[in-house]
Amino acid sequence: MEENEKDLIEINSIKEFVKDSRIDDAVKLIALYLNDSTEENYIDRLENIIELLLSLHGGRIVLRFLIENLVIDVPSLLENLSKKDSVLRYTFLLLLKTICENECDLFLPYSEDLLNSDDPNVREADLQLLIYMAGGDNTIDNESLIRTISLKLTDDKDFVVQKAIQTLKAIGEKSPSTVTKILTEYVKENSQISNNEELKKSVDGIIKSFVTIEKIEEIVEATEEKKDIDLEKEESEIIDKELELKKKELEIKKKKLELVEKEKILEEKTIKEKEKVLKLKEELLEEETKLSKEEILVAKVPIKKIPKKLKKEVIEIRDKEFELQKKDLEIKKKKLELEEKEKELEEREIIEKEKTLKVKEELIEKEQELSQVELEIKKKIIEQKELKILKEEAKRVDEQMKELIEKEKDDDET
Amino acid sequence: MPLEPKHYMKFLDNEAEAKDKSELLDLLDNRVRILCFDECERDRIVCTLTPLCSRRFLLRLRIKNNLTIEDLPQFCYSVHKGVIERYFRNKTVIYRPYDAYLYLIDFIDVYFHGDYRKLNKFISFKNWVEAKEIFDDRINNRNENFKYLITENYFFFKFEDKIHIIFLEEGYVLCNANRENIVDLEMLHGLCKLYAGIYFPEVNLRSLGSKHVEIIVKIPYDVLTKVRSEATETNDSKADHYFWNTFWEDLNALTQYCDEIHLQMDTNQNLEIALSLSLLTSNYSEDKKRVPLRFRDLRLILNFITRIYTDYYIIWV
Repeated sequence: MEENEKDLIEINSIKEFVKDSRIDDAVKLIALYLNDSTEENYIDRLENIIELLLSLHGGRIVLRFLIENLVIDVPSLLENLSKKDSVLRYTFLLLLKTICENECDLFLPYSEDLLNSDDPNVREADLQLLIYMAGGDNTIDNESLIRTISLKLTDDKDFVVQKAIQTLKAIGEKSPSTVTKILTEYVKENSQISNNEELKKSVDGIIKSFVTIEKIEEIVEATEEKKDIDLEKEESEIIDKELELKKKELEIKKKKLELVEKEKILEEKTIKEKEKVLKLKEELLEEETKLSKEEILVAKVPIKKIPKKLKKEVIEIRDKEFELQKKDLEIKKKKLELEEKEKELEEREIIEKEKTLKVKEELIEKEQELSQVELEIKKKIIEQKELKILKEEAKRVDEQMKELIEKEKDDDET
Repeated sequence: MPLEPKHYMKFLDNEAEAKDKSELLDLLDNRVRILCFDECERDRIVCTLTPLCSRRFLLRLRIKNNLTIEDLPQFCYSVHKGVIERYFRNKTVIYRPYDAYLYLIDFIDVYFHGDYRKLNKFISFKNWVEAKEIFDDRINNRNENFKYLITENYFFFKFEDKIHIIFLEEGYVLCNANRENIVDLEMLHGLCKLYAGIYFPEVNLRSLGSKHVEIIVKIPYDVLTKVRSEATETNDSKADHYFWNTFWEDLNALTQYCDEIHLQMDTNQNLEIALSLSLLTSNYSEDKKRVPLRFRDLRLILNFITRIYTDYYIIWV
């Protein structure tokens, strides 16, 4: 109750300010009143303000000030209104009509985002504001925006679709060629959707609503211009692509050449290394031959005469030779192991193949046995049938014989 | 000369061929269906702000003929309910929802939101004890200002000067009754009783047979003797002014709506004003039939009695 009374006092003071044409003061007071609200009562307070502005003579001016000064943010306002009843929502939208017509810059920046809102009421409200904007002196020819509106022709909610139709009709009055172009493109893009017929009907209705004899020429000119522009665009695109392709080819050639160069360098390096190795080997051989001669001499000459440096080198060379021999042996071992493993694998494969072959053979034998049994059964059945037939024949012959005998007896009696 | 509405009416009244009438009515039905479900609801802003039938009378037509909510244009009905709720909460509305019909559950949702499930059950099953408990609790403990009265077929509510009537058998409610006709004597008597209980409890109210309700209000002898015997230019007292200037005008106006008005002196020399009310007024329509009594007509009669009672009877008592 206290809160209601407080609300009433504040609303009355705002009312007084507006009546006295103290718009700035009224706006400040509204800002304070809304800022003072909690999450729970914000919408109620907003409704109070809207209710007040709806009933006051200078309400529209105050509202414009509120939007300009961002006291009321348009997107959040529409979202909040969606939670309220439709009477308030639509009455408030009506209040925005003249502001939309005269100052569409206040609303147009939010329009495209609001059209993508999850709330259908927000989408519908936004479309209504666009209708008002298009109804003023403004020309809406933003292709992206018109395309987004076109998307609403296939919206889930029918009332959004209807509003989108109205919006496109309103925009089409001043931008017939843009709307026609976007709509025809949209219908082509959606040629495979299930409700394409309905979409076509809607688009048909929209285009018919603003196409007049005067506007047809404008639309045709615009489309021809666009066709020319499109052709030019296509040509330039093709030329660009050709240039790109040539560039790529050149790059590939470059890379190939670079690769060849690198290969050559590598080859040269390997050759040089081989040469070095060969030289080393030759030196080693020479040294070995020298050593053998020296060893003979050593036997004669005292050991002290051999220089220490040489001894060390000789030992190192021998160690390296041993290591190399060891490595060679290890490699040979590993190779042999690998060969063994491969052979084992081959053997296993062969064994498995043999097994499968055996199973197959068994299966074939069994099949043959089965077919023999079947043949025997069939033979028996045929034999039985033959016996039956023979028996029946014998019976028939006996009966005929009896009949003949009886006939003969009758003849004899007569 | 093109066809006029009266020609259709005449045709429907007089034409013998039932098939032709049926065809004409089919055309009308088709038109109404397209108007409501297509043309009006197609644009929700139009449906909300400027509905294509005035004050949504086509909803009234449907509800009064016991169509279910599924047979109604849904959005239109939701707006209609919203308008009634806004009017109840003293918020701005596009039109005043007089003579608006709602389904019982929606009426309870609007006027008794917190208890709407319980009340719907109690009222539907005529469990008046439990229903009254809720209403009395609201009046006594929650500062809600309304009065109610239950009769066999109706449940009357009076919120300030607005009357709402639940039609118990039909399951719908007439909200803000104004220009609608009073349906039967039970309703007429119930309304008089509801008003009498609030404004003039000591007035004599009774049913006369099956066609009339009689209200007798007295102006005490003491009050009458204080009124000057002749009219003067400057009427000193309120009583002088009223009885010499307004009283006869009031009576004259009431003769349109009452079957009979009797003025007589009782044994104590008090003036007795006996108003005999029926479901028909003394006015005649173009087709020379008596015009039915409407809620607004009854309100005039009851206002007159309230005035006499509060200004000249209570003071004297």
